[in-house]
Amino acid sequence: MTTSVVRPARRSRLSALVRVPAFWVVLTLLVAGTVRMAQMTGHFLTAYPKATATAVLLFALLAVPFWWFVAELDFIEPEPAELLVLAFAWGGLVATTVSIPGGVALDNLVAKLGSPTLAADWGAALAGPTVEEIAKTLGVVAIVLIARAQVNSVLDGVVYGAMVGLGFQIAEDIVFAVGAVALAGQGDQVQPVIATFLLRGFLAGVWSHTLFGALAGAGIGYLVVSRESGRPHRVAVAVLAVIGAWASHVLWNSPLLIDGLGNGALALLGVLLIKGLPPLLLILLLVRRVHDREADYYVERLATLADPRLITPGELAVLGSGSRRAAARRLARAEAGRAASTAVRRLQRAQARLAVELSRADPEAAASREAAVREQRAVLLRLGHPEAVAGPVSWRHRASTVATTAVAIAVLWVALSALGGA
Amino acid sequence: MARITRRQLMNLLGALGVAASLAGLAFGLPAIDRSLSSERAVRTDEPYLIGAGVTVVPPAGAALDVTGTRPGDGEGTVLFRLGPVRYAIVVRPFDGDLDAAAERLRQRIVDTTGYQVTGVQLEVSTAGGLAGLQGGYTAPGRGGRYAVFVADGHTIEVTISGNDLDLGRSLPQIEASTRTLRRAGEPQ
Repeated sequence: MTTSVVRPARRSRLSALVRVPAFWVVLTLLVAGTVRMAQMTGHFLTAYPKATATAVLLFALLAVPFWWFVAELDFIEPEPAELLVLAFAWGGLVATTVSIPGGVALDNLVAKLGSPTLAADWGAALAGPTVEEIAKTLGVVAIVLIARAQVNSVLDGVVYGAMVGLGFQIAEDIVFAVGAVALAGQGDQVQPVIATFLLRGFLAGVWSHTLFGALAGAGIGYLVVSRESGRPHRVAVAVLAVIGAWASHVLWNSPLLIDGLGNGALALLGVLLIKGLPPLLLILLLVRRVHDREADYYVERLATLADPRLITPGELAVLGSGSRRAAARRLARAEAGRAASTAVRRLQRAQARLAVELSRADPEAAASREAAVREQRAVLLRLGHPEAVAGPVSWRHRASTVATTAVAIAVLWVALSALGGA
Repeated sequence: MARITRRQLMNLLGALGVAASLAGLAFGLPAIDRSLSSERAVRTDEPYLIGAGVTVVPPAGAALDVTGTRPGDGEGTVLFRLGPVRYAIVVRPFDGDLDAAAERLRQRIVDTTGYQVTGVQLEVSTAGGLAGLQGGYTAPGRGGRYAVFVADGHTIEVTISGNDLDLGRSLPQIEASTRTLRRAGEPQ
């Protein structure tokens, strides 16, 4: 394991941001984006108050699980909530504000320099991704400029990039939903909002901006972190990642297979999978790899302690994986109740904080984190569940997973059918 | 007064670079777009394919605006300009009847702030016998006409807008053009 996986940075107070010139530039851009989006939302609310409110509510709810998943991606060294909010706001306020006029202009240029037919077929595939991926990637660059110490692994770039993409996705979905209401020409109705929610939220949501943003963010993270590689190499990797995000977006928006594989829900699902699955799998594999590398780095820091009161070999095997951490909490709950499950979660959180402080080589902060770990260990000992290890997968967990998957497929099927696939 | 460090200067320059890149996307691209003409000459003696098999013969003296023209197999739009007058035709899939299509178009018009539908709706038909409805609307500083037809699961929406003087001059050619709307396979 090389130290380049993570570049530990000393703890920095977010209040210090006010002394960073870029912070004020970014703040100005956010204010401008907020004003523009507020104007747009005001127009929507005036014309279609019920539909707009429904769209905002539905897509805000949709953002919750995405936010939770992205924020939890870096369990061991979580990003400050303020920066996650900033990334989300950049996507929803700045990138969208810029992309609307930029995308229209580029689409027009395709028609002017090519032809209306080219623009009709490929305009959305060329204009949207080109403008939007640049605008979103600049959000990760802005985070690096104002809080470079907080981008100390490729995974951090993934998290910030995904959060920018999520903000963009939610704002764009709301604009599309209200646009569908206007196009329907039936006044302030919510049916077009529901249809947009099913189509863009469920069917297209998984492989949308959050995913593309994560890939571009990984490139920026690599550019910032992997100092042992030469600058040309790092720049090339970052450019490749942004091009990869752009290409995935182009493929998704492209007219390829626009006529589908026939009629019916299965055919529609087939098109979605063919165009969306390869980038989805590629990016998930990349995220998994950078996640595991970062987790291994921090677990190795804890392993050097060789103190079972702080972390046991069994807990070392658990801490780096989200599924194994969850399995440890389930086992604690089964053996010693809900309080033990909560204590295991707190122990895992405290061990993760300790690992980060060990990487920073800050003895004072590490001592404080060690005390927090010992406190949770004492709680677990009192509850009769001394070690936070994962148990075997229970039949109830398997059944729950199968049932959840079945419900998800059923929802997908209903959505596809409702949208005319069947 | 505190001096700015080299690190702060580079940070500021980086942030300004981000802002400049955004400005390039938000203002630069539209500026380039505006600097190039969107109008193209179009033949006014033969049908122009709008989309979904629907054609129209452009009015005499019209130019094609490529920014409002997107032909397609299932739907399509075309935008002609006769000086300051806009003549747009949109073809979209639709599963309702003519009254529903007209109501939908009227609703979309009045949903735009400042737009009002005026007068009564009148029946209209194309040279090929396609029946439709037409009416008028007003907007701040301009007036407009609309017409809507339904054929083979598609709605054909025509909107014409401009100031009253220009509209008055161009309407005869545009109405003559609208009568040439035709679906593929329809008798000549």
